[in-house]
Amino acid sequence: MSHRVATHHPEPILIRVDGAEVTALPGEMLASALLAADQPVFRADLEGQARGMFCNMGTCGECFVTVEAPGRPARRLRACLVPVELGMVVRRG
Amino acid sequence: MFDLAIIGGGPAGQAAAEIACAAGLGVVMLDEQPRMGGQILRQPPATLGVRDWLPGATYDDLKAQLHRSEALDGLDWRGGVSVLGLFRDADGFQLLATGRDGRLTIAARRVLVAAGCYDMPTAFPGWTLPGVMSAGGVQAFLKSQQIVPGKRFVLAGTHPLQLLVADQLRKAGADVAGVHFAQGLGAMVGQLLRDPLLPLGNLRPFRDAAAAFVNLRRAGVAVRFGQRLVRAIGSERLEAAEFADGTRIACDVLATCYGFLPQADLPRQAGCAMQRCERTGGLAAVIDRWQRSSVQGLSAAGETTGVAGAEVALREGRLAAIGILLADGLLSESEAERRAAPIRRELAKLQRFADLLARIADPRTAIAGLADDATILCRCEDVTRGALIRAIRATAGPEDASALKLVSRAGMGVCQGRSCEHAVRALLAEQGAAPGGGFTARFPARPVAIADLID
Amino acid sequence: MTAVDVLIVGGGLTGCATAWHLAERGASVMLVEAGELNGGASGQNAGSLHFQIERRFLENGPALAEQASRVLALNRLAIQDWRALDQQFGPAMEIVMHGGLMVAESDAEVALLERKAAREAEFGVPTQLLDGAGVAAIAPYLSPGIRAATWLADEGHANPRTITRLLAARAIESGAEVRSHTQLSDIGRSAIGFQVTLASGEGREQVRADRVLLATGAATMRTGVLFNLHLPVFPAGLTMTATERTAPMIGHLVQHVGRRLSMKQAESGNILIGGGWASRLQRGDIGFDLSRPATIDPEALRANLKAAADTVPGVAALNIIRSWTGIVALTADQLPLVGAVSRLPGLYVAAGGSGFTLGPTFARLLAAEMAGERGGDGELALFSPDRFDHLNGFMG
Repeated sequence: MSHRVATHHPEPILIRVDGAEVTALPGEMLASALLAADQPVFRADLEGQARGMFCNMGTCGECFVTVEAPGRPARRLRACLVPVELGMVVRRG
Repeated sequence: MFDLAIIGGGPAGQAAAEIACAAGLGVVMLDEQPRMGGQILRQPPATLGVRDWLPGATYDDLKAQLHRSEALDGLDWRGGVSVLGLFRDADGFQLLATGRDGRLTIAARRVLVAAGCYDMPTAFPGWTLPGVMSAGGVQAFLKSQQIVPGKRFVLAGTHPLQLLVADQLRKAGADVAGVHFAQGLGAMVGQLLRDPLLPLGNLRPFRDAAAAFVNLRRAGVAVRFGQRLVRAIGSERLEAAEFADGTRIACDVLATCYGFLPQADLPRQAGCAMQRCERTGGLAAVIDRWQRSSVQGLSAAGETTGVAGAEVALREGRLAAIGILLADGLLSESEAERRAAPIRRELAKLQRFADLLARIADPRTAIAGLADDATILCRCEDVTRGALIRAIRATAGPEDASALKLVSRAGMGVCQGRSCEHAVRALLAEQGAAPGGGFTARFPARPVAIADLID
Repeated sequence: MTAVDVLIVGGGLTGCATAWHLAERGASVMLVEAGELNGGASGQNAGSLHFQIERRFLENGPALAEQASRVLALNRLAIQDWRALDQQFGPAMEIVMHGGLMVAESDAEVALLERKAAREAEFGVPTQLLDGAGVAAIAPYLSPGIRAATWLADEGHANPRTITRLLAARAIESGAEVRSHTQLSDIGRSAIGFQVTLASGEGREQVRADRVLLATGAATMRTGVLFNLHLPVFPAGLTMTATERTAPMIGHLVQHVGRRLSMKQAESGNILIGGGWASRLQRGDIGFDLSRPATIDPEALRANLKAAADTVPGVAALNIIRSWTGIVALTADQLPLVGAVSRLPGLYVAAGGSGFTLGPTFARLLAAEMAGERGGDGELALFSPDRFDHLNGFMG
């Protein structure tokens, strides 16, 4: 179970991940919000096996998710490089 | 049009920017991260309050440079931007990039690639389980995202960075079950003592590792040597790490630390001459004494030219900028040499320690035989070591990395070969083939949506 | 000195397939490839199996289109050859022939489609002209702006990354010798056929061959020089792009009659986009340097991707993960250069003209001809290298 250690932070915001509400901190990366919400699985591989974070710096491609920020078209993005936004809708693959 | 585009906001890029901006050049700096700092100084989001970010004398100079760079007059900073490719034109380069607001084209007379490095992905049975992460990735969750990314941590590998990461985890209140070096302690200390150029006063990186070691031992965290990680165990998530002597340690995060590979996508795509890193098999840009690559107008500094740490990177950044000022006629030859001389002296000393660290941290013995035939080597396309061997040994089978990629699909996934190329080349060499130059580096250097390229 | 019945130069699709056919007939065959098998256009193309008249033949006016429709006879044969390969090799080649559409949007494009369909009917290629509703029924993934299309049920795609090596393996199993990283360095005439010097990492070797087939694709002009011949084959770099894997979206080969566009979804799920957009070849001291990778032209890529997103709107949100160049062989009149070179008895050439789609057919027909079998229908007569014999009248 991951936990946050920042000394202070702004009011949390809500995003949706696969239809469920997830609490996130403005400014943190989507990957962090998912880990903090005890959601370490980001996708299933070609054999159907669960996969999670690996490099956390945009090189390994494990954390691609479909992201729709309000008013913007859906994109497949690396969760470790997407700062969360209020009302973001995320679908994992 | 900018005079200089710097790709990478870490120590090398910052150091170059300081000198270039001071000389009046128009400089743009791009990085995938939202804030300057690179990986070593990967900053928390501005929204989060952080107590005592990156404490320790090691970071003081780097943090001071970061703060100066963020305030630099004449530096145009673009965070959250991925550079997809570099295209030459009559005036210099067009950089094609993408960010939150779509496509970005930047024209610059000169380009400095200071794109850093990434943890070398090391394959072993179970390494694709959720919970197995690179030590650098775990460290970034901690220092940048202010999150302890799990409950119980095991660290394993060959690189002393894992001592620092373990200590940082411990300080953040994490349960660290142990740090495990595949190398024997005697072997590591032996390397250290055998070096005749060892002036004890300049051993900052070793002091940091030693201090971390002491802290961990004092806190009751095991640091084991001669303990080779062999397997990650779990059904849907990581449950335990297993070592060569049969020891199993329950954990939900296994942070692996076997060394680093240069980020070389852009120099390779631009056609720069590259050289192979001996111990990791990564590819680094070849540069001259002014950090110039084999492509006119394109310089490289820092880990992109070979992994040697932040202090070396910073000084290479300075040399690169001085070289650019010299090439632009803003400095005379003698003035440039005068400014470069002390930097070169420092570099020579630092490079010796970097080489010593590389010898101590050599991962090759630990990695040999780690993956079995069922182990996935290409994470993106689920290509196992066994499938690659079958492809190599097939009648009329491929003999180099590009041909093996084509037939096996290793390297054809969304990570674009970054996680498996070194392993594929090592496997070819092991099977008696000459691996050749690696996969051909292609545009785009990062995945990008079609919609973002056509508007 | 080793003596073989046939020496094949070039380890792409046509070379390996011909080696297989000849070896199966009991001929002694050696194939040499300068680099890796399948390392050229055979392995770099996007795998289209296109049997309708290609757009490139419609681009340069009616006279060329007239000539080009002669390729249609070969296309009819190619359909059967690909079905045969599918039967013989099974899923390993990923041959999918579920139909292809060439689409039109404007009035002029629709008119062009109608003329094309008429010509195809003349040559027995059974394309069907569909209106907007008909297209939408078959291919709902297409943009609503598509007003018509010619449909051909046999079109589709196959996997260019694996096919050549599968054929080479069969050739080896049938007794052929295949050597990669081996170049032709010198040619001499011998009493029957040719005396060839091969150069490889292991040194030089002389081989005698009754017959030689040049199947060297974009390098054919250079290979011709070794035989003191002008072979009018020119390299062109074509850009292709692959998206990430995605759920099934495009079930057919899609081409556009009015724009340079070709799209398909491979069995792996990646969508492959091409259609004839140019990469920039590197300049050498003399001519183009094909040993250095061609560079992508960002404007050409942009236009290619725009055509793709306009035609199949669903691809716009997908990420591309690689763009690359296949260097194809373009002949002086855009038609294949296939058959015997009468000026040099025993020498054969196969280059140009949709080498992937037509490769298996070239190989089958050439193998029969090289094995001395009579009774072919002269399908290759139109593509004889002798049509350029005037270029070699003063070569001694």
